[in-house]
Amino acid sequence: MADRSKVGMEFPTYTITVEKNKIAEFAMAVALKEEKEGINPIYYDEASAKKAGYQGITIPPTFLTSFAFWTGNGLQEIVKALGIDLNRLLHSEEEYEYYGNIYAGDTITRKMKVVEMFERGKRDRVGRFVEVTILETEVINQRGELVAKVRSAMMER
Amino acid sequence: MDVNYDDIKIGDAIPSYTTGPITRTHLVRYAGASGDFNPLHHDESFAKMVGLDSVIAHGMLIMGIAGEAITAWVENKYLRKMSVRFLSMTEPVDWNDVENTKNRATITVNGKVVKKYEENGEKRIHCSIVAKDALGSRKLDGFFIVALP
Repeated sequence: MADRSKVGMEFPTYTITVEKNKIAEFAMAVALKEEKEGINPIYYDEASAKKAGYQGITIPPTFLTSFAFWTGNGLQEIVKALGIDLNRLLHSEEEYEYYGNIYAGDTITRKMKVVEMFERGKRDRVGRFVEVTILETEVINQRGELVAKVRSAMMER
Repeated sequence: MDVNYDDIKIGDAIPSYTTGPITRTHLVRYAGASGDFNPLHHDESFAKMVGLDSVIAHGMLIMGIAGEAITAWVENKYLRKMSVRFLSMTEPVDWNDVENTKNRATITVNGKVVKKYEENGEKRIHCSIVAKDALGSRKLDGFFIVALP
C-alpha cells in the first residue's frame, strides 16, 4: 500500500542524453514496425526532420515517459520509494503538456515529485477500491528550458 | 498534407488508424525501447501469479499507438497536449489460436474535433480520442490539443 507520508516528496533529479538510436527504436516500437523504413523519417533522418521544420531528429509524443524508466533505478526506484506493491500496480492515466521540442543529442533533466495520493472507490467492494498516486515531472533541456510536463497516475488494485 | 485551422470544423473526425494485432514480440520491443520492464508485460508466470490469464500490453504502448494516430494526421511539432485514461487491459494475440485472439489485440484509434479556439497567440483545436480493440472494448480515452497553421 502506498505510503501517504510521501505526498510532496521530490525524487532526486536525473539527467539523460537523448540518443538518436533510442528514438528510432522507440518510434518503431509504437508503430509496431520491424525496420526504420516503416516509420516517419523525422525520427531517424536529420535531413528529413529539418525539411519538415524541426531543428533535428525529434521524439515521438510519448517518448517522454521513458525518461523516468531510463534514469535512476527506473520503475523499481519509484515503487520502492513510495511503498507501492508492484504486484498490484497499474498505470491509470498519463498526460503531457508540450512547451518545446526535444531533439536527439539534447541533455534532459527530469524533476519528478509526488503531487497527490488518494483512495478511490469503497473499501468494502472488492475489485473496485484502488489507491491512486499522482506523479508530476518537469522535463528541462540543456538550456534550462521547460520543454514538457508529464502527469502520471498509478493505481494499486 | 498540412491540416489548416480554417479548414477544420467542429465535429470533424480525425482519420481512423488501425494497427495489426499486437504480439508478445511487440511488447518485448516496447519494453526494450521504453525501459518499462514491469514483468506483467513479458513474463507469463508473473502475469499468472498476479491473477491474469496472459501478459498484457503496456498501457503506454496503446498510448504510443494513439500518438502515432495523431501524428499521422498533424505534424508532431504542432502537438501541445495529450491526455488519456487507461480503461482496460490488452492481451496480445496467441499464435496457437490466431483466429480467436487477433481481434482483442487489434487496436483502432478514432477521434473528433471538439473545440476551436485561440490561446497563447495560436490557433488551437481540442480533439477527443478513443482507442478500442476489434471487439469494441475501450482501451483508453482522452483528448489532445494541437496548434494549427
